[in-house]
Amino acid sequence: MKSTMLKLLLSVVLLTALEANQKETMDIQQLQKELYELKKNINQIQSELEGNAKSGFQLAGYAAFDWADIQKDDNEFSGAKFAPIFHAQYGKLFQFEGELEFTTKSDGETNTELEYAAGTLFINDYMGLQIGKFMSPVGQFVQNLHPSWINKLPTTPVGFGHDGAAPTSNVGMSLRGGLPKVKGIRSNYATFISNAATFGTAADGDVVIDASGKTSSGNISKTWGGRLAVNPTGGMEVGFSSALGKVSETLTATTNVGATVGDTVARDYEVIGADFMFNINSLDLKAEFIQQTIGESQFSTLEGGIWKAWYAQMSYQLFSSNFEPVLRYSDYHNPEAKRNQWAVGLNYLFSNNLMAKIAYEYNSDEDKDAINSSINDNRVLAQLAFGF
Amino acid sequence: MKKLLKLMGLTVFLLLSLSTSVMAKNEIKIDIANGALVWAETCMRCHNLRKPEDLNKRAWKYSMNHMRVRAGLTGQETRDVLAFILSAKTAEDEK
Repeated sequence: MKSTMLKLLLSVVLLTALEANQKETMDIQQLQKELYELKKNINQIQSELEGNAKSGFQLAGYAAFDWADIQKDDNEFSGAKFAPIFHAQYGKLFQFEGELEFTTKSDGETNTELEYAAGTLFINDYMGLQIGKFMSPVGQFVQNLHPSWINKLPTTPVGFGHDGAAPTSNVGMSLRGGLPKVKGIRSNYATFISNAATFGTAADGDVVIDASGKTSSGNISKTWGGRLAVNPTGGMEVGFSSALGKVSETLTATTNVGATVGDTVARDYEVIGADFMFNINSLDLKAEFIQQTIGESQFSTLEGGIWKAWYAQMSYQLFSSNFEPVLRYSDYHNPEAKRNQWAVGLNYLFSNNLMAKIAYEYNSDEDKDAINSSINDNRVLAQLAFGF
Repeated sequence: MKKLLKLMGLTVFLLLSLSTSVMAKNEIKIDIANGALVWAETCMRCHNLRKPEDLNKRAWKYSMNHMRVRAGLTGQETRDVLAFILSAKTAEDEK
């Protein structure tokens, strides 16, 4: 009996071991199969990344349509914008990108602007040499957040538009890219050298710094600068910017100390900026400060000074729904004006790149000329924006 | 300013000299998991996430190069994100 029991037990042990062995073999075969499929997928993706054609292009861009009801004024369909972006590349070595911006003016004419047109030569994994007209690397809003489908409100913060406190574009060259991680922290940089900005009186009489890219520097030394940004956590970026150089001013009046009307003079120019972005779950926070300083000139009747602006913005996509409330405060000071704005808005996201926005702006300007002007009027704004 | 230009020129020359070995080293590997992480963390900072099905494969290649410049991505991060997006595309929208 004992012998039978022992044989039976031995048989059970052997069978169990055999089954376990078979299962292990099957598991290994399954893993090998999965590994084979994974390798196949990676090879396929690798071949797609390599691509067949050396050259090619893509058309992207955005469009926006605006409506405004301005205090003390009629409501009107106030804007139509079409901004095609052209991307072309030669293999992995070179990329060209250009953006045109077409807008309809109040008199029905079409306004056309070349926002940027720049080629980038990818030198290595951490460096691209960009040449041409590019969005100013100083700060964050102008270069990355201005497109209507990205901007959470229908308008830009005060001081961050054309002729404000923030430089808009440069003509020159830029060296930029991402840097290797240091202790798990990612960072990126952009340096540039470009033609000088201009300084003078605009058609409306305001004294402005025109920091948009030009193909002439008026024999004034170049502007150089850059931005360094770090990502302390994945969803956060903190950036610091600076630029130095001269601005050119064509004299329309003189102090009669050796220069004549029409002469071009150089004035000191300095820019500093800091920006912050943080996105966690459905909460999005953004803030930026920018300041341009113009030095004095013994030849000019225009005084120098500081043009500075900042904004802080918060938006939140409600309970993973398609509704997104937004709140923004912006402030702009220059030697002639002190202006601030509260904006509150609600967006409806049809998709991540198609949205309807409605907002209320409360504007305040201490400039005596602006107190009774439309700049100071509060307004209701609506916009439909589409990125493609 | 001339000194600055010379310095920039010298820096570019040195980095160009070093670039060949760096590129050769980096083109071999693709890290889809890193691509997913960079896609989720970096894109959202500026704009709403564009899903893999929003663009076709060809358009994604150009868009990612554009974003490499705009978002300050490294070449490796750009390749990883593109690989993740292409791998996440469903059979229906694989064009």
